[in-house]
Amino acid sequence: MVVFRLGLVIAFCVIVGRLFQLQVIRGADFQTKSSGNRLKTLEVVAPRGVVYDRNGTILARNKPSFEIALVPEDLPEDKPETPDIDEEGDEIARVLSLVHADTDPKIALRVAEIMFRTLGRFDYAKALTTAGFKVDFVTVPGEEKEIIMATDLPAAPVSMPFTVPDISTPLPLPALVQLVKFAIDFKRQGSASEAVSILDSIERIKALEFSEESYHMPAMRINPSPIRQYVYANMFSHVLGFMGPIPAEQADQYTKRGYNLNEKVGLSGLEYSYQDQMRGLPGYKTVERDILGREVRTIGQVQEPILGSNLVLNIDLRLQRVMSDALQSAIVQQKARWGVTIAMNPQNGAILGLVSQPSFDNNVFAERLTENEGYQQIQNDKRRPLLNYAIGGQYPPGSTFKMVISTAALAEGVVGPDTTIMDAGPIYLVNQFFPNDLSQAQKFVSWNHRYGIVHGPINVVQALSLSNDIFFYEVGGGYPVTKFRGLGSAAMAKWAELFGYGAPTGIDLPGEIGALVPTAQWKRQRYAESWTTGDSYNMAIGQGYMLATPLQVLVNTATVANGGTVYQPQIVYQLTDAQGHVQRDFTPKVVRQLPLQPGVMDLVRKGMWEAVNAPDGTAITSKIDGIEVAGKTGTAEFCDKEHYNPKKLDCLDDKDFRPSHAWYVAFAPYENPEIAVVTFVFDGGEGSLTAIPVTKKILETYFKEIHPR
Amino acid sequence: MYDRQVWRYFDWPLFIAVLILCGIGVGMVYSATYNTPDLSDYWTRQLIFVAMGLAALIAIAVFDYRHLEMFAPPAFVVFILLLAAVDVFGTVQSGSQRWLNVGGVLVQPTEAGKFLIIIFMAWYLSWYQEYLHRLSYLVVALILLGVPLYLIYKQPNFGMALTFAFIGGTLILVAGIRFWQIGLMAAGSIPAAFFLRTKLQGYMLERFQMFLSPKDFKAANWNVDQALTAVGSGGWFGNGWGQGSQNQLHFLRVRQSDFIFSVISEELGLVGAVIILILLFFIMWRLLRIADLARDQFGRLMAVGVAAIIFFQTIVNVGMNLSMMPVTGLTLPFVSYGGSSLVSMMFAIGLAQSVIMRHRKIEFQ
Repeated sequence: MVVFRLGLVIAFCVIVGRLFQLQVIRGADFQTKSSGNRLKTLEVVAPRGVVYDRNGTILARNKPSFEIALVPEDLPEDKPETPDIDEEGDEIARVLSLVHADTDPKIALRVAEIMFRTLGRFDYAKALTTAGFKVDFVTVPGEEKEIIMATDLPAAPVSMPFTVPDISTPLPLPALVQLVKFAIDFKRQGSASEAVSILDSIERIKALEFSEESYHMPAMRINPSPIRQYVYANMFSHVLGFMGPIPAEQADQYTKRGYNLNEKVGLSGLEYSYQDQMRGLPGYKTVERDILGREVRTIGQVQEPILGSNLVLNIDLRLQRVMSDALQSAIVQQKARWGVTIAMNPQNGAILGLVSQPSFDNNVFAERLTENEGYQQIQNDKRRPLLNYAIGGQYPPGSTFKMVISTAALAEGVVGPDTTIMDAGPIYLVNQFFPNDLSQAQKFVSWNHRYGIVHGPINVVQALSLSNDIFFYEVGGGYPVTKFRGLGSAAMAKWAELFGYGAPTGIDLPGEIGALVPTAQWKRQRYAESWTTGDSYNMAIGQGYMLATPLQVLVNTATVANGGTVYQPQIVYQLTDAQGHVQRDFTPKVVRQLPLQPGVMDLVRKGMWEAVNAPDGTAITSKIDGIEVAGKTGTAEFCDKEHYNPKKLDCLDDKDFRPSHAWYVAFAPYENPEIAVVTFVFDGGEGSLTAIPVTKKILETYFKEIHPR
Repeated sequence: MYDRQVWRYFDWPLFIAVLILCGIGVGMVYSATYNTPDLSDYWTRQLIFVAMGLAALIAIAVFDYRHLEMFAPPAFVVFILLLAAVDVFGTVQSGSQRWLNVGGVLVQPTEAGKFLIIIFMAWYLSWYQEYLHRLSYLVVALILLGVPLYLIYKQPNFGMALTFAFIGGTLILVAGIRFWQIGLMAAGSIPAAFFLRTKLQGYMLERFQMFLSPKDFKAANWNVDQALTAVGSGGWFGNGWGQGSQNQLHFLRVRQSDFIFSVISEELGLVGAVIILILLFFIMWRLLRIADLARDQFGRLMAVGVAAIIFFQTIVNVGMNLSMMPVTGLTLPFVSYGGSSLVSMMFAIGLAQSVIMRHRKIEFQ
């Protein structure tokens, strides 16, 4: 009994001592820890800016939506004393049945889909098979790769098919639980407090319902995750782009800019270019949270988020729609592969419409369709709908390039306004090793020779109007027979670059390429060959090595239209805040002023006017009642695998015609132009046949519906 | 049988200490549960349990404990049979087979068994008091204790098995055994410890390891860690009743029973926690006094047994709250929420009261 009493005293002293140690000596530490438990600084996400067209019509907006996620560390642990009960799995099953994944096949599909994305195809299959579920596989065509089958055959694209688990049939609840468990184990290795999304695209009412029912599920979180909605889908997808999770390889860069890696960011189009502005700045607030992570109250000051800016575009929805439809029907009619049409205000560089076809539905990316559905379809489309051909495709500009050559020739004094050059049929460049053997000479024809027409002596205005090639061959490369000295490679390259070729135009879209302006030096480096007069001839008519993006051709046209100012094209008109106040107004950006003597550009403009308005002009079909239009057609020959004719070792068809891209550039009104348009159809045939009707339709709409006279 | 005179010796200080603890218990259960929808009526339930416990206390106090002697052996046999029945027909819940399904109601025989084992061991050790110096009688005592112990350990219910062992051990020691016998038992416990080490059921071993090296069991140690944070943030006077953030925001799990001491420490501080401890140890002290005054060995051992139970549960529960002991499901006597544990504790106090009310050591009628 004495021992027992002694025991009581000792035990009492030990416990009180321990209490004293914890509560008094180390009390401050634990108080900090306790505050850390309950106080959390939360990011208040700023709603992303909305995109409007020039007239205030909404093009992209945020649809409120919620996602359901599980926080790994808040799931019940598998208790060691109950080895035959899977506490974690049971809780996951409860959450899944709460959201009806067991009864609604659509939801079951969606959960599986998200798990598929989270885990990837290998781990997805592994998660199911290790738990004893049968996995069906489907074969999908993979990415195409160019493979050389034999040395004497051209490289052929070969698709590399692979198998993916079939996710098109709804899985039973236990299988879904298994997948979620796997995904959670995966995440737990990283950060156990980071929620794993299991279902998204939930409407507000449903989300409220779930949050009431989820009271007993500490791991379940219902987070707002607005979906970006593109109202006009395909019509604006290349302009607006789309959003998605931050790509792994750019993670560092985004973290440096203050991004949270769970955020979605713009990956292409304006969504990318104006990512920072449209995102705004998240705010912060300190909240007291209970163990379920529910906010009990807000403590202290709230730092309000800075709302993302709205974009107002220069583009007019009505014009864009007409452009899109007109180009679409031209492509279908010609059975062409793709095409571009762009309209710009030549006085300030404002882009009035921009269409690249084929297009795609950018909502597909916002709503995260899985890889073997719409997304795969877009990926596997040989016409590459994701590519914006307006800025990412490079093609020989064809006869539209004669705008550059004629300006250069006048400015450099190679020709005067009245200088005439004789078109008396094809001209020949003799082979330097066999100067007397005409059969070895290189023959250069003008398009009209095919129809048995020669144009005779013509000046620069007539040459532009008739699109005579002989004139430009000689202006570009000189003509030994008449001792006529042409511009030569260096001057042509110089003027091409002055007009904006060879470098990105600086439009506010990502992915723009510079395209190639060939020079003698380039050719030597690339082919180890000297620049020849023939190369100059080809370049002078926009063929050969010369390449341009449709947008560069448009900038060139606008420069001619406005008399010599190169403007940087801009899609965005204004940035506005949530109240509609203008944050950044439109200011035209002048890239350069061309060094021109007065009157030079007038002659080029005159040539383009005659092309439309003279009786024998090449673009007379683009005339519009009441508006004076000026234009220039282009038919740029090309050769590719599709058209290759092994018998002729070239792309010539039976009638010795090469396939060609159709170009047409135009501006109007002739005096004081308001709009310049470029239309390009890949493999579209004659510019005058395919591209003119599209442009004409656009100009008619502009002048009759949008800005009626 | 009823004698008005016996109330003269009713231990009022003990009774009042128990009442105060129960009162604090109800208050703390309220603070721990009022903002949890499913548990918000727990404090009223606890109040009802207190009333039931008081009734049991008075009823047992009135009853002459000496009549229990004749119930002890048959009750023990019934208890063993019940334990065996649990082993064979018992209901499994969260992995343990501890319950008997009696017409839809789950009954856990071990909870009442704690007190039964006190009464039975007290009976055995007092009945054969003269023979205990013989090894055989001691061994029989150990076997009688060992049978229920084994059945409980098998359920598995490690905490309860330890409780039984502690009560039995204390009673045997207090009943008076020779020092060489203690030495022999100590010698016997060494191989037993090794045996336990190899045979300890998985989860028990894990809990011990968790306690010994908490860093390896970060996730599993979460509850203990939160309890420690709650206790530590209390300081001298606590955050105030109903103001403990660890408690109110539910960072403490099973806060109304297993971790009620953390709630007290957080909200009432060192002062409040020490008051609770003083009350508990005061109760034990009074029980030992009763043991000293008891008129016979049976009463003496019963009082010691009750003190031992309260002592063991207090040490283990508080030790768990303060991260000094591994996690077991043992509750804090009189304070933790729970009808069966509260009523049986009050019942045990009633037993002790019955002993002291009839001690008549100095008094002559």
